[in-house]
Amino acid sequence: MEIGEGLMMLGKYIGAGLAMGIGAIGPGIGEGRIGASAMEAMARQPEMIGTLTTRMILADAIAETTGIYSLVIAFMILLVV
Amino acid sequence: MKISLTKPDKIFLGTVFAGYISVMIYMLVTGYKFQLEGVGQRWIYQLPFGEGPMSRINPLTVIMTWVIMALIIFISTRVKVFKIIPGRKQSLLEVAMEYVYDLVEDSVSKKEFVRPIFNIAASIFLFVLLSNIVGSFPGINAIPTDGGGFKITILSDTWYAPTSDLNMNLMLAGFVFVMSHAFSIKAKGFKSWAKSFFEPAWPMFPMNVIGEIAKPVSHSLRLFGNIMGGGILILIIGYLAKYFIVPAALWGIFGLFFGAIQALIFTILTIAYISSLID
Repeated sequence: MEIGEGLMMLGKYIGAGLAMGIGAIGPGIGEGRIGASAMEAMARQPEMIGTLTTRMILADAIAETTGIYSLVIAFMILLVV
Repeated sequence: MKISLTKPDKIFLGTVFAGYISVMIYMLVTGYKFQLEGVGQRWIYQLPFGEGPMSRINPLTVIMTWVIMALIIFISTRVKVFKIIPGRKQSLLEVAMEYVYDLVEDSVSKKEFVRPIFNIAASIFLFVLLSNIVGSFPGINAIPTDGGGFKITILSDTWYAPTSDLNMNLMLAGFVFVMSHAFSIKAKGFKSWAKSFFEPAWPMFPMNVIGEIAKPVSHSLRLFGNIMGGGILILIIGYLAKYFIVPAALWGIFGLFFGAIQALIFTILTIAYISSLID
């Protein structure tokens, strides 16, 4: 293997790892805040747990969108280019 | 909750499970090595004419789209006669459709648009839900080989989900985009629709256009990333467990649970995009 090819693979793997790792920070914080607020609301009004759980999962799935974008970018770095 | 199955259902489910288990035993006995190949690769067919963006098709997407449409038509023929006292299949469908109808009714303020928006949202929900669920079970898939041909793999990959192809998702999101503006023109008239791009003042025109174009992009990429990422995760973790059939919990989490939630979110965003332009 030539050194240029090796450097390219190095860049690909490090880049994909960084893209996924840094991109997961934001959704993690966001989902944590959603979960915390939902727990507070459930503790205050236990009779609404069913509705709150559904809404919480929906909000989680929307908050993880940016993480999914970085997953797509990481796959593109690894598989397409 | 108690689930009671009728005899034909039991026979059908038993046959499916027996098929999967017998293939698994066959794989164990013959020492079949599950190889990780073709991850994220698609079988692409080059049409004989021309070079360019429209000259290549993805045959599995076309085939599986037709299979899922046939599945939906089959389901709809099974519960054609709606009874006052619903059976099991009918009540399942009624619960799903009623949930979507309530979502539409809550978010759309003009009464005459509830029914058409419900038709669009329910069709998209059924299609996306079925294709996500299909993509979570082991089945038949095709991966490209080096010589430009393809190789059919049986039970070493999931069924090909059409929603794991960005072209399908972009088509659905573009359809929603066009329909939302058509509804907007119908509801508000052409003049006030055109004027809505210059709100609150005329220098905001480029921002409004970019904001509208960003909607279908994020709408389609969200579904695509979830389904394709889930499929690749199932494949890689199945490879770590050496046999693909064994980690069945993964199908449940990444396929059924995330697939159903993503189908619901795609539908909710469809309703939100259309209803935000009507008001």
